[in-house]
Parts: sequence; structure tokens; C-alpha cells
Amino acid sequence: MPGRIIQWVDKRFPLTSFVKHELTGYPTPRNLSYWWNFGFLAGFVLVLQVATGIFLAMHYKADIAMSFDSIQHIMRDVNYGWLLRYMHSTGASAFFLVIFIHMARTLYYGSYRKPRELLWWTGQGLLLLLMATAFMGYLLPWGQMSFWGATVITNLFRATPFFGDQIVIWLRGDYTVGDATLTRFFALHYLFPFLIIGAVVVHLVALHTVKSSNPSGIDLAHKDNIPFHPYFTAKDLYGLGLFLILYCIFVFFLPNSLIEPANNIPANPMVTPNHIVPEWYFLPFYAILRSVPSMVGGVVAMGLSVMIFAFMPYLDRSRIPGGARYRPVYRGLFYVFAIDMVILGYVGYIPPTDSSIVIGQVATLFYFVLFLLLPFISKSEERWLVKRGLPPVVQALIESEAHEIKKYQKRRGKGETA
Amino acid sequence: MNKLVTLLASCCFASTALASEVALEKAAVGVDVPTVERGVEAVMADCNSCHSMKYIKFRDLVALGIDKQKVDEWRGDTPLDAPLKAQMSEEDAIASYGKAPPDLSLMTKAREGGSDYVYSYLLGYYAKPDGETGNHYYPATKMPDILGMSSTEDAAQKSEIRNRARDIVSFLAWAADPHEQERKTLGYYVLGYLFVLTLLLYFVKKQVWAKLD
Repeated sequence: MPGRIIQWVDKRFPLTSFVKHELTGYPTPRNLSYWWNFGFLAGFVLVLQVATGIFLAMHYKADIAMSFDSIQHIMRDVNYGWLLRYMHSTGASAFFLVIFIHMARTLYYGSYRKPRELLWWTGQGLLLLLMATAFMGYLLPWGQMSFWGATVITNLFRATPFFGDQIVIWLRGDYTVGDATLTRFFALHYLFPFLIIGAVVVHLVALHTVKSSNPSGIDLAHKDNIPFHPYFTAKDLYGLGLFLILYCIFVFFLPNSLIEPANNIPANPMVTPNHIVPEWYFLPFYAILRSVPSMVGGVVAMGLSVMIFAFMPYLDRSRIPGGARYRPVYRGLFYVFAIDMVILGYVGYIPPTDSSIVIGQVATLFYFVLFLLLPFISKSEERWLVKRGLPPVVQALIESEAHEIKKYQKRRGKGETA
Repeated sequence: MNKLVTLLASCCFASTALASEVALEKAAVGVDVPTVERGVEAVMADCNSCHSMKYIKFRDLVALGIDKQKVDEWRGDTPLDAPLKAQMSEEDAIASYGKAPPDLSLMTKAREGGSDYVYSYLLGYYAKPDGETGNHYYPATKMPDILGMSSTEDAAQKSEIRNRARDIVSFLAWAADPHEQERKTLGYYVLGYLFVLTLLLYFVKKQVWAKLD
């Protein structure tokens, strides 16, 4: 009977072939390391955030007179409301952690290279959507940091030429962050995850067109691909177990380490907190914003610091495969960049002092110089590596890829003449 | 380990520094009902005249295991589901102290340093040469030295005050996060389950991949 139902469906909808081609039988490089688990983990956290978020929305009130109280109602009176809320607030941090690792893997292994530019750019779009969603969600508890964070960030749009003031009012729905802002942020915070789901589908279609990259950095021969199921379902589930252990340590034992103490004080437009800090995942970008003396310059620098990743397929001009593995200079730059990010994060976290401002400016300069010098560095590194003689492994990789391409062209040529 | 976690957490995650430059005293927060009960009594006697606790209802205290008769005494003719209001009106408090006393429901979560900060603050009063009292942790405070730390030199009395501050902080910590103990207990079960599950998944992964070689 089930067989007949599936047959009936298959005649009208490509169910079996879709599952076979895109899910169970999807060809995946067998040499993927655990760094390739994070895309799946990001998808998992997305589902977790949507699921907990929908239940939180059933008890939350988007009204400045009630929202702070409604969070306390969730935390105290709703059955397991505290669990839903801590899962959701911890989930936001988990989402960024997973995405940052996912991006770092792409940068390290050069996964953004041809033909995966569109895959990388849809990912960049997803990052922007995620940042917007997180930012709007942070206003909803209507605590001091919610209010002042939203005030500071919406105020940045004043830097827009000609319409700055109007845009800020349009975003807030009022002259200051208030009830209109809260209500619209709630509506959009509920909408954006569904836009993210749509963008994830686009991201996956692009992925399944170009297939996963892999640590070797070249497209592998067909014999090196294995079906997604059971190999990567097993591997991803094991990775998920490890992730959930870390996540649950925070949810059950350290949930408040991710919530700013000042956000347990109801929003008060008359009292500015000593020190307005964004959530940890925005700190490096916030530090860049503060490092540029002029407001317009700061906003442009911050926007560019997020968007500059999109240019990576063109900034990295080396053709040596295997990402940073066989490229000592690029590998060095990768770690310098990672350290620079941590320094920027720290500078964004502490209240500005004379020395921290200078450190922030140097780190900001470093951030952009690294990207801008990359075309020259990557090209001269390639020349140097080739001149020195590539290691036999890399040589073999390049030859095997050339061989595969030739074989493929030959097959296609035959097909055309036949 | 705990220190390491706090240190890591405070480095990695945003939180306002600057609460005070004086090192905080560690509060040994009690979670047992007798300690919390002594804490409620102290709060009702020392704090409730000015400070409200609007997220705590009298019924919550009964549910926690506080003697029903005591709770009935405190609430008088207000219903069991009424929140703990301050006895003094906000206007009177502003008239007397120049500032509205903050609600205490979330106090241990709303200050950098949490329970340690509140504990240190309560004990941080000292007598200034001009006869006024000051506070090491919050110099601008308008609250009088309610526990009397600044007016005694007697060691036995001081240790009594410390105990009372500890009881108060223990109750405030419960009030700020009433499900904390339930959360931690559940957390141990969840983590135990996840460890076993992950171990099994590891073996599944190994076995599945063994087929490839």
C-alpha cells in the first residue's frame, strides 16, 4: 500500500527522485572534515529559533507598557517559559557562533572560489538578514540595553545623504524609539526568519548545483564522492550531539552570561546606561564604527567591514588549491585576521579610553588593509610557490583535476558527435 | 573552574564593566528553604517599607514553603495573588530620599556582579569623618545603612550583619530567578542524556564509515 501511494505521488510530483538526488543520494566529497558540519548546524539552530520563537510570541506583548512584564510572565508563570526564553536568547548567540565558524571555514579553505561565488553571496545575504533579525529581536524585551542599543543603531541611518533624518523617523515610526518602533520590530522579527528560510532554500539550490567544496580545494573525481546518507547524516548527527552539549551548558547553567545585566532594568529614555554595548557578535563591527572619527565615515566603514567578504572571490587571485593548507602566507593572514577580529571585539566591549581608541583604529586599519592587499599578496604568493616548486601533493591534485576535466570534455565531445 | 568560566564569560560576552572599582565580596548564596525564609523575613522587615518586589506574589512565597501564617501576617487583607508592594508610596519615598527606591525583584540580575554586588553593597557602608555614612560600592546611594554596618565595631555584631545580608541576598537571588534550581537539576539530566546519545552517535558514525574502507 505505501508503495502504491508513493507511485501515485511520483507520477504527479518528483518525490522519490528528489529525495534520491538531493537528500539521500546527494554526492558528497568523502574527505570533508568536521568543519563542514556547520552549515547543517546553522540550519538546525534556525529551526530551533523559529520553533521557540513562535511559542514565545504566544505569550509576549509588543507594547512598551507591557513587554518587560510579559517577559517576566514568561520567565516565571508560563510552564517551562524560562526554558523557551533561555533557549531563544542562547540560540541567538549559538546562531552567530555557528555562522562565524561556517564563514571562517569558507575563508580558510577558499570555498568561495569559482564556481561557488553565488553560493558565497547568498550566504552573505543570509548573514545580513540574520544580523537584522537579531538586532530587532534584541529590542523586544524592552530593557535598558534594548532601548539604547536600538536608539544608537537606528540613529546611524542619519548618515544617509539628503534623507537621513526622514529615514530615521521612518524606521522608528516616531521621533524616538518608542511604542511604534517596538511594534514594528516585533512584526519584522517575526517575518524575517521566514525570509531567511527562503534565502536558505536559494543557498541550498546553489550548493546543490556546484556541490560542496572540500579540503583539497579541487573538484574530486566521481569515485571520491559518497552518498549523503548514511555517511553524512551519521557525521552531522554526531556533530549535532557535540553542539547540543555546549548549547545546553549555556541554556541550563550560564544563560544569564549572555544577557546584559542592564537589560534586566526596564527601558528608561531619561537614563542613559554608563556604557552602551551591543551583543558579543556585533562587537568587532561596533569597534570599527567607533574607530572612525566621523559618523558618516564610521557607518560606511562598518557597512563595508561586513560587505567586504563578498569581494573575496576577486580579492584572492591565487589558483593554488587546498585553501590555506598549501599557502603559508594566506594561512598566516587568516590567523592575523582572526586575532584582529578578537582585538576589535575587545575594543568594542570596553568603554573607550585613549589607548583603546588607538588600538581600535590600528586594528580597523589592519582589517581593511588585509583585504585590500590580498590581490597582490595572493598573486605573489602563487608565483613564489610555483617558483619554489609545489609540493607533490598539490601537483598531483592539480593534475588529477586537469585529467578529470579532460576526461569530461572528451565524454561530452563524443556525446555531441554521436 | 567556576572562576575560569566567569572570566571567560566576562571576556567573551558583552557586559557592562565599570560597576565599581572596588573588588566585590563573594556572597555564599543559599538555596535551602530555611535560608531563603530568613531572607524573606529580613526583606519584609528591612527593605519592604520602601522597596517593592512587583514580580513576586504572596502566593509564590507560600509555594516556596514559607510558613503560611507569616505570609498572611505580611499581606494583611491584600489577596494572596497580590504582588509585594512597598509600604511607603513612591511619592513619599522621593520626598524623603530624593529618588524612587528601585524594585527588587530582579536586583541580583540587574547589576554587574549580581548577588556579590548586592551583598557587597549592603555591607559596604562606612562612617565618614563628618558623621555621614558612605558606601564603598555605590558612593551616590541614597539608601541609609539599614543593616547598621557603619555604626558598629563589634566583631560578633558584624558577623551577625553579614549573615543577615547573606540571607537577604539569598532571597533576592531566588526572587530574580525562581526556576534556577529546577533549571540546574533538569540541566544535569539533559546533559547526561546528551552525553550518552552523543557517544552512541559517535559509534554509529564510526560503524557507518567503516564500511568505506
